[in-house]
Amino acid sequence: MDEKKAVHSGTAVSSTAVPVHTDTTAKWFLLSAVVYFFIVGIVAIILAAKFIWPEMLGTVATLTYGRLRPLHVNGMLFGWLLAADMGLVYYLVPRLCGVKLWSEKLGVATAILWNFIILSAVVVLLGGWNQGLEYAELPLWLDVLVVVAWIMFGWNIFATVAKRKYVQMYVSVWYIMGTILWTAFVYLVGNFAVLFATGVNQANLNWMYVHNAVGLIFTPVGLALAYYFIPKSGNIPLYSHKLSMIGFWSLAFIYVWTGAHHMLHGPISQWLQTIAIFFSVMLLVPVWTVVYNFFATMKGQWELLQTRVELKFLMSGVVFYLLTCFQGPMHSLRSVNALVSKTDWIPGHAHMAVLGAFSFFAIAGTLYTVPRIFKTRLHSASMANWSFWFMMIGGLGFFVTLWLGGLWQGWQWNNPAIPFIDTVVALGPVWTVRFFSGVLIFLGIVLFLYDIVATAIGASGSEPIEDAA
Amino acid sequence: MQDYTYPSIFLAYLLFAVFAGGALYFLIRSIKDGYWGKDSEEVKYRMLADEENKYGE
Amino acid sequence: MLGNAEKNAILFVIAAVLLFLTGGLLTTLVPPLIDTSWGRPFENDDPAKGPTGKLRPYTEQELAGREIYNREGCWYCHTQQTRTLLADTKRSGWRGVDSPISTPDEFVYDAPHMFGTKRTGPDLSRVGGKYDSQWHLTHFRNPRDLVPGSIMPPFPWIADNPEEFEALVAYLQTLGRAKDWRPDQDYED
Repeated sequence: MDEKKAVHSGTAVSSTAVPVHTDTTAKWFLLSAVVYFFIVGIVAIILAAKFIWPEMLGTVATLTYGRLRPLHVNGMLFGWLLAADMGLVYYLVPRLCGVKLWSEKLGVATAILWNFIILSAVVVLLGGWNQGLEYAELPLWLDVLVVVAWIMFGWNIFATVAKRKYVQMYVSVWYIMGTILWTAFVYLVGNFAVLFATGVNQANLNWMYVHNAVGLIFTPVGLALAYYFIPKSGNIPLYSHKLSMIGFWSLAFIYVWTGAHHMLHGPISQWLQTIAIFFSVMLLVPVWTVVYNFFATMKGQWELLQTRVELKFLMSGVVFYLLTCFQGPMHSLRSVNALVSKTDWIPGHAHMAVLGAFSFFAIAGTLYTVPRIFKTRLHSASMANWSFWFMMIGGLGFFVTLWLGGLWQGWQWNNPAIPFIDTVVALGPVWTVRFFSGVLIFLGIVLFLYDIVATAIGASGSEPIEDAA
Repeated sequence: MQDYTYPSIFLAYLLFAVFAGGALYFLIRSIKDGYWGKDSEEVKYRMLADEENKYGE
Repeated sequence: MLGNAEKNAILFVIAAVLLFLTGGLLTTLVPPLIDTSWGRPFENDDPAKGPTGKLRPYTEQELAGREIYNREGCWYCHTQQTRTLLADTKRSGWRGVDSPISTPDEFVYDAPHMFGTKRTGPDLSRVGGKYDSQWHLTHFRNPRDLVPGSIMPPFPWIADNPEEFEALVAYLQTLGRAKDWRPDQDYED
C-alpha cells in the first residue's frame, strides 16, 4: 500500500527531490551476514586444524571433516558472502535509481526466508544429508526455497529498476541485473538439471554450475559493489563508463563456456576441454578492462588509501581479483594444469577469489553502508583498519603458502617414484602455516563483527547525527 | 582413447567465426548509432551526487 | 537502437540472457549429443582395442555403500579419475602394471558423480580389489595404524557398524573394475 503510493509520488515529484530510504531489508541482510561470517569462521579454523591434528573431534560423526567442509563452503558462500551482497544491493539499487525500494516488506520476508535456509542448511549438512555435488550439497527442498528467495529478491530489484527516476543506468545496475538473471539459470542447471544426468554428463553440468557460481554470481555482484563503492568512498568519478560496458558484455558472453576446465586431462571429451581452455584465456578481456578502469580511477588519488579504510579493502580486493583472474586462465593451460590441478594450490586460488577479492568488496561495502543506514558514525575506524591488516596478512600467508605447497605437491605427484603418503607428510609445514594464517584472518573477522555490531547497537541508543544535506 | 576431435573442431571454427562477425557488427552499429558520444559518461558523475546525507563520514 | 542502449532495461535483459544462453546451451546440452560415449556403458571383448571387460550397474548393497561414501564427504579429498597423465597411470597402477586412463563410459551409472576436485588423499579410481576387508576395517578405525603420517580422519561409527562397513567396502571394491587390466588375483571375498 505504502509502496504503491511511493510509486506515484516518485513519478510526480520534481527530479531534484531525494527519496527517504528506510533500508530495513539491507539492515537485516547485512547484520545476519556478518554474524554468519563469524560463525562459519570458527568452522574454517576447525577444518584447518584437522589437517594438523586429524583426530581432533574425529570420533563425533557430525563434526568429521567431510561434514564440516560443505558447511564451511556453503556457509561462507551463501550465509556470509551472498547475503552481504544482497544486503548491499538492496542499499545501492534504490540510490542509483533515485527511488525507494519497490517493497521493504517483500525485502524483509526475503531476509527471513534466507536466514531460515541458512540455518536449515547447517542442520542438514552436519547430519550428512549431502546431495554429493560440489556447491550443490543442499537437498532438493532447500534448493526450491533458494529459488523462491531468489525470485523474491529479483522481483524487488527489477521492479525498483523499472520505476527508476534516472533513466541511464550506472554500470553497477547492469551487473546486478545480470547477476539476478544468470543466477536463475545457473542455479537451476546446477541443482535441478544435474539430477537427471549421470556420470560425465552430470559432472559437466555440475562444473558448469560450480564455475559460474563464482563467475556469474559472485563476480558480477562483487564488481557491482566495487563499481559503486570505489568512486563513492573516494568521491572520485569512475575513469570510463564505456570501458565498463565492454567488461560487462564480454563477461556475459565468455564466462559460461569454461566449466569443462575443471576436468582437464580427465575423462571428458578433448574438444570440450579445448573450448573451455580457449574461453578461459579469453577471460583476460573482461578482467583487465575492469581492473584498468579501477586503477585509472585511482590515478593521482592513491593517497586516499591512507585515510579511507573502505578504499584499502576495495583496492587490495582489486589487486587480488587481478591476480586470481590471471591464475585462472593460466591453470586452464594443459601444461600448467598438469602441475597444479587437484593440489593445495587450488584452495589458495579459490580463497584469494572469494576471500581476497569478493569478501573484501563486501566488507568495504558493509563498512561504508552500515553507518549510513543506521544514521550514525562507524564505531571505530581504527578497529576497521586493524581488521584490514589482520585479514591482509593472514590472507597473504594463506594464499602464498598454499601456492608454494601446491607447486611442491604437484612436482612430487608427477614423480611416481615418490610414495603418495610422502607427499602428504611433506605438506605438514604448509598446513601449519595455513592454520595460523587462518587464525589471523579470523581475528580480523572478530574485529569487523564487533565494529559493525557496535555501530548498529550504538545507533539505536544515541542521538542521530544532524543531517548535513 | 578414440579420436573424436575432428567433426566437432570444425563446428568450433564456425562458431568462433560467427562470434567474431557478430562482435564486429555490433561495434560498427554502435559507432553509427552514436553510442560512443559524450552522453554515455554523464551517469558516472550523477552517481556521486545522489547521496541523501553525510552519515558515516 | 544502440545509442540508447544504457537506457533500455528490456533490451538489456534480452541481450544478457541471449549471450549467456549461447554458451550455456552449447556447453551443456550439445556435448552429450556429439559424444555418445558419455552415456554408453563400457564394454569391450577385443584385447586389441585395449583392456577388456564390461561395466555393470551397482547392486543395492553397493549403492548403500556409495551413499555412505557421499554422506561422509570422502569425495572432498579423494578424486576418482586416472587422468591422461603418465604419473596418474603409474599411481593408479598395481605391482608394476600401469592402470588404463579413466574414460567417460566407465562412469555411466554414477549419480552423483565422484570425480572430485581436490586430491588430499590418494586417487581411488582404481582402488577396487587392492585391499581386503580386514585392511579396510583397521584403516577406518584409525588410518595411522596402517599408514603412518596419514591425515585421514578416523571413522569409528562406520567400523563399528557391520552393515554400513560392509556396504561401503562393497562399493570401494567396485571402483575401476570395469576394465580388466590387473595380472594378479583379487583380495575380494
